[in-house]
Amino acid sequence: MKKVKTRAVFSLLIALALVLGLGVYVFRFARDGEAWASFTANRTVYQDGQLARGTLTDRNGVVLARADGEARSYASDANTRVSCLHAVGDFSGNIGAGALQLFSDSLIGYNPVSGVYDPSGEGPVVVLSLDAGLCKAANAALAGRNGAVAVCNYETGEILCMVSSPAYDPEYVPAVLPEGAYLNRVTGAAYTPGSVFKIVTLAAAIERIPDLQNRSFLCAGETLVDGQIVHCTASHGAQTVEQAFSNSCNCAFAELSLELGGDTLAEYADRLGMTQPLALCGSVTAAGNFEKGDAGSTALAWSGIGQSTDLVCPFAMLRLVSAIAGDGTVQEPTLLRDGKTTETRILDKETAELLADDLRYNVVYGYGEWNFPGLALCGKTGTAEVGDGAPHAWFTGFLQDQEHPYAFVVVIEHGGSGIGAAAPVANTVLQEAVKS
Amino acid sequence: MDGMTMVMENLALGWGFVSVTRFCVPLLALWILLRCARSMLRMRYEPEVWGYLKLPNGKRCPLLHWENLLGRAGSSDIVVPYPAVSRVHAALIRSDNGTWTVRDLRSTGGVYVNGKRVKSSELRDGDVLRLADQELDFLSLTESERGELSGVRAQPGDLVRPGLNFLLLTLLLAILGGQQLVSAQAEYRLHILLAYAAFALVMWSYFLVMRSIRRSGFEVETIAFFLSAIGLSVAAGSVPEALLKHLLLLIGGIVLFILLGWWLRDLRRTRALRWVCGFAALGFLALNLFTAEEVFGARNWLYIAGFSVQPSEFVKVAYIYAGAATLERLYSGRNLFLFIAFSALCVGALALMGDFGTALVFFATFLVISFLRSGNLATVFLAVSGAALACFLVLYAKPHIAARFATWGHIWETPYGAGFQQTRALAAAASGGLLGCGAGAGWLKDVVAADTDLVFCLICEEFGLLTAVLAILAIVLLATFAYRNAAGSRSSFYVIGACAAVSLMMVQLALNVFGSTDILPFTGVTFPFVSRGGSSLISCWMLLAFIKAADTRQNASFAQKLPSGILSEPVDEDEEDGE
Repeated sequence: MKKVKTRAVFSLLIALALVLGLGVYVFRFARDGEAWASFTANRTVYQDGQLARGTLTDRNGVVLARADGEARSYASDANTRVSCLHAVGDFSGNIGAGALQLFSDSLIGYNPVSGVYDPSGEGPVVVLSLDAGLCKAANAALAGRNGAVAVCNYETGEILCMVSSPAYDPEYVPAVLPEGAYLNRVTGAAYTPGSVFKIVTLAAAIERIPDLQNRSFLCAGETLVDGQIVHCTASHGAQTVEQAFSNSCNCAFAELSLELGGDTLAEYADRLGMTQPLALCGSVTAAGNFEKGDAGSTALAWSGIGQSTDLVCPFAMLRLVSAIAGDGTVQEPTLLRDGKTTETRILDKETAELLADDLRYNVVYGYGEWNFPGLALCGKTGTAEVGDGAPHAWFTGFLQDQEHPYAFVVVIEHGGSGIGAAAPVANTVLQEAVKS
Repeated sequence: MDGMTMVMENLALGWGFVSVTRFCVPLLALWILLRCARSMLRMRYEPEVWGYLKLPNGKRCPLLHWENLLGRAGSSDIVVPYPAVSRVHAALIRSDNGTWTVRDLRSTGGVYVNGKRVKSSELRDGDVLRLADQELDFLSLTESERGELSGVRAQPGDLVRPGLNFLLLTLLLAILGGQQLVSAQAEYRLHILLAYAAFALVMWSYFLVMRSIRRSGFEVETIAFFLSAIGLSVAAGSVPEALLKHLLLLIGGIVLFILLGWWLRDLRRTRALRWVCGFAALGFLALNLFTAEEVFGARNWLYIAGFSVQPSEFVKVAYIYAGAATLERLYSGRNLFLFIAFSALCVGALALMGDFGTALVFFATFLVISFLRSGNLATVFLAVSGAALACFLVLYAKPHIAARFATWGHIWETPYGAGFQQTRALAAAASGGLLGCGAGAGWLKDVVAADTDLVFCLICEEFGLLTAVLAILAIVLLATFAYRNAAGSRSSFYVIGACAAVSLMMVQLALNVFGSTDILPFTGVTFPFVSRGGSSLISCWMLLAFIKAADTRQNASFAQKLPSGILSEPVDEDEEDGE
C-alpha cells in the first residue's frame, strides 16, 4: 500500500499543472482583460458593433456624444455637431480615430474588479479637452472652404480645437456627402507645406551654420540653381537671416538649403516630426514626406523652401510650434481634459528661443500686429504652390502669453496666400480662444 | 409565487438585489470551500487497524490496510529487516468477510504458516508466520475489538460541522436562484423557482439520509453540490425551458453516485464486476462507433427515446472501474498488458469517432492508472511518446483538428472565423470582472456551446473570476483529498480508483478551461458538474463515488462499512451497517 500511496503523487502533479495553468489565465486576465472587454462583439457594451454606453463631453461639460443601449445621440446643437464631427467621430465608425473610437475603452468603463458591470447602464463620462465653442468659431471662420484648424495649449498639451472641413451633421447624414468628408484633415492628411517648412530649415541653419546671425543674404528676386531659376516673391536685397525669414525669401532659403545639404535637412525634418507618423491618444497621424535632394540640385533648394515633394501633416506642424513655444520641449498633444501627457524635447532651448524670436519678428515686422489685435502672436505663413489651382494657405504659430498659452495651425486648401486666407481664420479663432 | 413575481417585476429592486448579492457569491463559495478544506486537510487522520504482526525483535506492528506488503524493502507496509527476507517477500490480504490470507510473492526464503511452507494460505488469529528464517506472530482483531478501536477514532464532523456547510450551500442557492429570477423571462420564473427549491430539497434529503445512517463526512458531496449549483444556474440561464430535465438528470446522477458507492463498499463483488465493466465499455464504444450520428465533427452521440446520450461519458466510469486493481492483481504480473490493450481499444475507438478531447482525457487517465499500477515511469514515457506520434498522425489525417491547432494562440486574428467562440468567451469573461454581472444576466449564453465547452467563461461573466477560480480549486481540493486518503486506504483498488477519477476530472477541467481561454487548443470537453449535459453530469457524480469510496476516516463515507459494535453508539442501530 505504501508504494501505491507514493505513486498517488502523480495526481497531485496534475493538480499542480492545473493550478499553474490557472495562474496563466489569471495573469492574462489582469493584463489583457480590458482589451478582451473592448471587443466590439461584447454585447454588454456594444450593440450591433456600435458602442452602447458612455458619454463624451467637451471641456465645459457640453455633451458631444452619448450612447445608452441602442439610443445614440450627438450634441444638441447642429453647428457643434458639424464642427466637432472629426474630433468626436461617429458611432458607425466611418470617421477614423475619432474620440468615440479612441476612448471606447474608457467609455465602456472597464475595471478589473467590476469588469464592465454597471447596473445603471449609463456608463462613464469622458471629458475631452475640446472647447465646442472654439470649434464652432473655427468652422464658421473656414466658411465652407476645405481645410483644417487646430489649437492646443502648449503647456498642457490639451487640444482645444480640432476642426476639419468639409464635415456633415452626424445626426442627419446627408445622402450625398462632400468628397473626403470622413477625413480628419488635422491628423489624417498631409499637404505641401510651402514656407511654413522654412521653420525647419531655419532650425537646422541656427544649429549647423555657426556665423548665421552675422551673415547677409542677397536677394535679386531670383537665383540660379543647377541651371534652373528659383523665383522669389520680390527682390529683397541684402537681409539678415531674420529679415530673410520674415520676408520668406526663397533665394536666402535656397542658399541655406544648398549649404546645409539634403542629409542635414532630412535629419531635421525627421527630428522635428515632419515625416514619420505621430501618436495622438493611441491613433497615428498621417506621415509627411521629405526627400533628400542631390547636392547642388534645384530639388534640394526647393525642398528647404517647403516645395518639391515635401508633405507635412497639420498636426505635425502644430506639434512643432508647440515645441518652439515650450523652449524646445513639446507636451505631446492629447484630446482628454487633464489627460496625462508626455514631454518630448525636440529642440535645444537656445534654438527654440531664437526661433520664437524670429517668429515674433515675422508678426511685428512682416505681417503687422494690427492684423492680430491684442494677441502676442508669433507665426509663420505658408503659400504652398500645388500645381492644380490656387496654392494652399498655411498659418502656424503660437501666443507668447502666459494666460493663453495656445499654439495653432490653419490650412486652407487652395485658399490662396497664407497671410490673406489663413491668417484671418487664425485671428478669429484665437480671439475667440482668448475671450473664453 | 404571485407575490414573488410582483417583487421581481420591480426591476430596480431586482437589480439592487443583484448588485448587493454578487459580492456574496464568491464570499460564500470561499467560506464553503475553506470549511471543506479545513475538514479534509487539517483533520488528524487516524489509520484503521485490522490486526497485528509481532516481529522477532518484539515490536508489534499494526496492519493498517487490507493489503499489506511484507519484506525487507523500506517501501513495504511491514518492514521485516533481516537479510534472509526478500525485499518484497509476501502479501498479507484481508477479505471483506474478515479472513486473512498470506501469499508468497516469489520470495527466495519462502513463506511458512505454523511451520508449513505455503504458496498461499489462510491465516488465523494466533498463527505463526515465518518469512525465510524469521518468525512473526499474527493477531487479528475481532469485529467487537475493531469496534472499540473505531469508537475512539476522530470523525470528520467533529472538526467542522457539516450541517453549516449545507446551510451555506442553501444560502448560495437562494442567492443564485434570486439573481436568476431577476434576469429570467417571466414565463420561466416558476420553473426556476421550482428547480432551485427541488435542488435544495434533494441536497437536504441526502444530508438527512446520510446522517440517519450516522455518516458525518460530507466534504466531497459539498464540493459536488457547490459545483452542481453553479451548473444549475448555468442551465437556468441558458436553457430555462429544459431546466427540469437538467434537474432530473442531476438527481439521477446523485442516485447513481449512491448506488455505485454502495456497490464499491464490498471489494469482492466489486472485483467480480471488473471484467463485465471492461467488456461493457468496449461494447458501448463499438455500438456508438457503428450507430451514432455525427454532430459538430464528432460521432459521439446516441439518441435513445428522445434523450441524447453520450456513451463515452459512461465509458469513463467503466474504464476506471476496470482499470483499478487490487494489490494481489498488481503482483500477479501479466495484467498491465491486458490493461494497455484495453486502453488502446478505448482511445482508438474515441479517436475513430472524432472525439479527440475525450480520447485525450482517456489517455491521461490511462497514464495515471498505469503509473499507479506499475510505478514505472519508463512505461509512462513510452506511452507518451507513442501518443505524440499518434497525435502527428491525427493532425495529418484530420484537417479540422489541425485547424484548431492553427487557431491556437491566434484567436484574435480571426474573431469572425475560427476564433469566433473563444474571442466572445474572453470578451464576456472580462466583462464579468471579479464579481460577475449576476446569474443569468450575461450574454455569452447565447453563443453556441456557451453552457458546455465555453462554460468557464460563462462562469467568469455571470459569477465573476473569483467564483470561477474557486470552482477550479474545488476540484483541486478533491485531488489533494484523494491523495491524503491514499495513505489510509484499505485496498489499492480504492487508491487507484480515486486518484484516476480525480485525475480524469482535472484533465477534463484543464482541457475545458484552457481550451476555451486559448491557453490550450480548443477541444470541446465539459467542465465537471458544471457544464450542461446529462451524460456528463451523471458520469461526474459516478466518478465521485470512487473518491468517496477511498475515504477511510471513521464514519465518513457511506461507501465504507462501519464495524459493528462501536462503543459510543447503541448496538441495535448498527444493523444497516453490520456485517
